[in-house]
Amino acid sequence: MPSTELRKLQQSFFGHLLGEKTDVVKHIQSTVDRSAEQRLHIYSSGYRLRLKEAISTDLDKLYSYLGDEMFEHLMDVYIDTYHSHHPSLRYYSQHMCELLATQKPFSDVPELLELARIEQAFNFSFDAADCDTIGIESIAKIQAESWAQLTIQFHSSMQLLELQKNTFPVWKALSQNQTPPESVFDASTWMIWRKQLVSRFRVLDEAEAALLREAKKGANFSRLCEAMLSFSDEEQAPMQVIALLQTWINEQLVCHLS
Amino acid sequence: MDRPFLGFGLGLRTEHYQHVLENKPDVDWFEILSENYMVAGGKPLYNLDTIREDYEMVMHGVSLSIGSTDPLNKDYLRDLKALLERVQPQWLSDHLCWTSVDGTNSHDLLPLPYNEATINHVAERVRQVQDYLGRQILLENLSSYVTYNESEMPEWEFFNEIASRADCLVLLDINNIFVSAHNHHFDPIDYIKGMDGERIMQFHLAGHSYSGDMIIDTHDHDVCNDVWDLYKKALEHYGAVSTMIERDDNIPEFSELRQELSIAEKIAANTLSPQQLSILPVLKGAA
Repeated sequence: MPSTELRKLQQSFFGHLLGEKTDVVKHIQSTVDRSAEQRLHIYSSGYRLRLKEAISTDLDKLYSYLGDEMFEHLMDVYIDTYHSHHPSLRYYSQHMCELLATQKPFSDVPELLELARIEQAFNFSFDAADCDTIGIESIAKIQAESWAQLTIQFHSSMQLLELQKNTFPVWKALSQNQTPPESVFDASTWMIWRKQLVSRFRVLDEAEAALLREAKKGANFSRLCEAMLSFSDEEQAPMQVIALLQTWINEQLVCHLS
Repeated sequence: MDRPFLGFGLGLRTEHYQHVLENKPDVDWFEILSENYMVAGGKPLYNLDTIREDYEMVMHGVSLSIGSTDPLNKDYLRDLKALLERVQPQWLSDHLCWTSVDGTNSHDLLPLPYNEATINHVAERVRQVQDYLGRQILLENLSSYVTYNESEMPEWEFFNEIASRADCLVLLDINNIFVSAHNHHFDPIDYIKGMDGERIMQFHLAGHSYSGDMIIDTHDHDVCNDVWDLYKKALEHYGAVSTMIERDDNIPEFSELRQELSIAEKIAANTLSPQQLSILPVLKGAA
């Protein structure tokens, strides 16, 4: 059993890091050169600095867009709202979209949430699970009677982002250290995935976006053909779905057909 | 003692991946930060596997939280064990500290009170970790900025006692001894002389920064002359110990760090005999 005293001491120390009023100072020796409070301050300031470094690394385009003062404020709000429950700092900023969606004044500026979603999608795609993607020859091996029930398993890095504003062009400009375009409403759907260790992205037309959403949820080929009818006629739909499947396979998005 | 000697290594950092992959620089081994590779896939693991084909490695973690009063994090240990199996390192290390309580992580290496109750608590947890991983671990001394009123002994006595009771090994950070000695007003030589040398498998060297009259362990500068002097004294006292330089911020070009590592090699060559500094063939070829 852990020592009760040690546990109380650790809780008191941690509370101090979080900015709470605790009795930890009575456990710390003061010296001629430094008081207990001054010594503890090294840890409490280091705590916030470390978390801020992690946030600004994960969301550097959002940082550029907001500027020093607002981003600093955002980080302070985030650190006061969310504690780290993961052994790696890599995951600390994962709740940023939740904060940007719900807390004023940030929630009044929708492109902030979209920018964070884009950055987090890239972060996720960077180290998402590996899988061996299939080649185009896999299509020829599918038995005629199997097509109707065929489902597609995508690479785990693949994500779809539905945006209401022109935030991807904003992100691209920030990535190239250029002045971003003015943020305007311009709905679009984007796909982000990893191909041969490098994260990729492209915009999707309405039909492909709809089919990818369905396929990702596990819809089979028949269902995808039905979905395609919203954009095509009954005769063309199956061939158009197959053409999209070929595109996805060529982009190394598909791990398995079953 | 028959201590395995890996030679002179560097911390593997993302900034240097390309240089290492393209140039295969002359370094005996790399130390990886375990948590950086406890991910599902992608470039980190690809680079790790590729570099591992050419270099001996050791693993170094920051989130074991061995001194915490929370239960051991089973998910973390599971992922650590999986990484161990992937990397097959010569050894793995973490810190003699606590980093989390009530499930919240500080991402800092927080000091423990040096007393009997803490020794019992930590030694038992080290034994549990070693049983689970099926191997001994190395624990590393911290740089610290506070002393608890509850502490009853010098850090080295506390460290020796835990290592002895848990039968674990030691990673001795020479810079951290220097930093803590300055901040807590003790003689760093007392620390060197006080440690049980039989358990020391590795040295860390690093740079630090001054904040007023305190020294902060920032790993963002070159190793300073005082730390080089202490390194020489540690070699005189313990003999050959696998040595690496840790650089975590303000990271220079790889060639600059390699140059700095050659200072460690020269000091060791001037202090120890060639026999003492011979890398065991079994280890050199273990990859």
